[in-house]
Amino acid sequence: MNSLRLRLILLLSVGLGIAWLVAAWFTHAESQHEINRLFDAQLAQSAQVLLGTTRHELHERVEHGEDEIPVSHEYEQKIAFQIWDESDLLLRSTLAPVTAMASDKEGYSETIINGEPWRVLTRWDARHEFMIQVAEPLVGRESLARHITLKMLLPTFIALPVLALLIWFSVGAGLQPLKLLKQEVKQRTANRLEPLAMIDVPEEVAPLAQALNDLFARLQQAFEGERRFTADAAHEMRTPLAALKIQAQVALRSTDEAERHIALENVLRGVDRATRLVEQLLTLARVDPETAAIGYKQVDLHGLAATVMADLEPLAHAKQIEMLLDDGLACHVSGDDAQLSLLLRNLLDNAIRYTPAGGHVTVTLRNSNGVTLEVRDTGPGIAETEREQVLQRFYRISGSGEEGSGLGLSIVRRIAELHGAKLELSNNEAGKGLLAKVSWPSS
Amino acid sequence: MRVLLVEDDALLGDGVRAGLKQAGFAVDWTQDGQTAKLALETEEYAVMVLDLGLPKLSGTDLLKWLRGRKSKLPVLILTARDTVVDRVAGLNAGADDYLIKPFDLDELIARLHALLRRSVGQVTQTLQHGDIQLTSSTHQVSKNGQTVELSAREFTLLHELLLHVGRVQSREQLEQHLYGWGEEVESNSVEVHVHHLRRKLGAELIRTLRGVGYVIDKEASRS
Repeated sequence: MNSLRLRLILLLSVGLGIAWLVAAWFTHAESQHEINRLFDAQLAQSAQVLLGTTRHELHERVEHGEDEIPVSHEYEQKIAFQIWDESDLLLRSTLAPVTAMASDKEGYSETIINGEPWRVLTRWDARHEFMIQVAEPLVGRESLARHITLKMLLPTFIALPVLALLIWFSVGAGLQPLKLLKQEVKQRTANRLEPLAMIDVPEEVAPLAQALNDLFARLQQAFEGERRFTADAAHEMRTPLAALKIQAQVALRSTDEAERHIALENVLRGVDRATRLVEQLLTLARVDPETAAIGYKQVDLHGLAATVMADLEPLAHAKQIEMLLDDGLACHVSGDDAQLSLLLRNLLDNAIRYTPAGGHVTVTLRNSNGVTLEVRDTGPGIAETEREQVLQRFYRISGSGEEGSGLGLSIVRRIAELHGAKLELSNNEAGKGLLAKVSWPSS
Repeated sequence: MRVLLVEDDALLGDGVRAGLKQAGFAVDWTQDGQTAKLALETEEYAVMVLDLGLPKLSGTDLLKWLRGRKSKLPVLILTARDTVVDRVAGLNAGADDYLIKPFDLDELIARLHALLRRSVGQVTQTLQHGDIQLTSSTHQVSKNGQTVELSAREFTLLHELLLHVGRVQSREQLEQHLYGWGEEVESNSVEVHVHHLRRKLGAELIRTLRGVGYVIDKEASRS
């Protein structure tokens, strides 16, 4: 059942119904009890009167014939009686059987006469000479009790539908704050995520509204980040595009063959640079937290490093840079092999790019107290003041002479974070060159 | 005309330098704000092309420093940021004009010429001297309505002299307008260019003051 209103109404109706039934049962029990007392008293009175009147006719066997008097009141009861002297039936009413209606013990008892239940009162006179038994059918009492109960509860029974209608409307009114909240939430879009006003929000709904506000804030942040990234990316494309356009125009106008040639080569360099920037942007967009952790499996970092280094060997060879992979042990971490390979590629590509010809790039893997991956180069390193900045998107170190996208280390950091690892940059122990360390906590 | 180009991006800076050189500007190119500041302190420039996102010293800070020195040097800024806020910030910092990347080389040159004209109080883009007419934006020179073909350096030299009619320009001054940093100044080059100009436009146009420099005299009377 999905409607809160229906649910409330059903619960309230069932509850009311049960309450009504309990009330009915109590009323019925109570009236029955009172009626029993009343009728028993009446029975006792009848016995008393009969005993009194029959005293004068002791030892006379009188058989009453037609002594049935028509019923003049709806609650008037039929009465049967017998008067016994020891075991002789002295007197009995027409309704009474010829055998004793109950045992000769004083007091009330119940018996079946002509297939109907009767209440019998047995009494002895003061001198213990006569026994009188007065009886009355129980049917009357039962129907009277039912009648009283019904009469008393009838108004509430009629009131029930009215009550249901009232419940329907009050539940609707009670749910009004939820309805308002729904309208408020409905107005929210990707561009309009301001928090819901918390005034007038009932305390039962407040946690929900608060949770929604938190969600809105997170969404807003995510959207903001996305927007900023897109804007940054677009701006980053402008400079390479400007360079392309100007170089192309220079080539077009140049009357000097050598100059034209240089300009055209610059155009090609510019295209390569723009292509790399676009690729890196796409990579960064693809390293999506949504896909993280789900498809993770055990990846051998050592094997992965060997593969990536083999891929980059031509690049290193062209700059006469020697690449070394320390330690032959397999190092397993849980992760996505494509992303980890990207991480390695970016770190190594950076190292090769910034290391002068004839230098070294060393990869070290350690597996004690968590896995650690270290990439050392013999380049200029990164000044301490710039170490945090290089991790920002699009930050390039000036005067490096290299035209990176400014995204490489951002990508490395993002992948490391998604894998629960930490990226640290420092200068090589030897004092020269960069040491990039990616460390996984020991699990 | 000597231009200081401050652009940190190697490819773009190289392209603008080559393009402006083709258009007859002498270009000094620096890739950071600090070097640009040094250049501005030591050299004379007719105009500056400034990228705002610079390492070491930002373009905006450089501009503020420049204007703080009461320099009237015309400055055109290049920016990748195109929001009104960014543009206003650049202009408020003291820029005279701006271009948003990517831009057109022709537009850059035309805007630089406009800035130069304004800085010498000239409104139209055509300079007239006797029967000689020079249009800076199109790089065209004509004599008696006939177009005269001039090289970029010859044009710059004529332009300089026409901008300062009646005032003697020294050989060093003229060389500064002809050559940027790293460009080898050919000896006697000014003499050679003046010689070519005289041959193409008439011997009497440019007067030599031996040991001092060159001048185009004011017209005695308007013909």
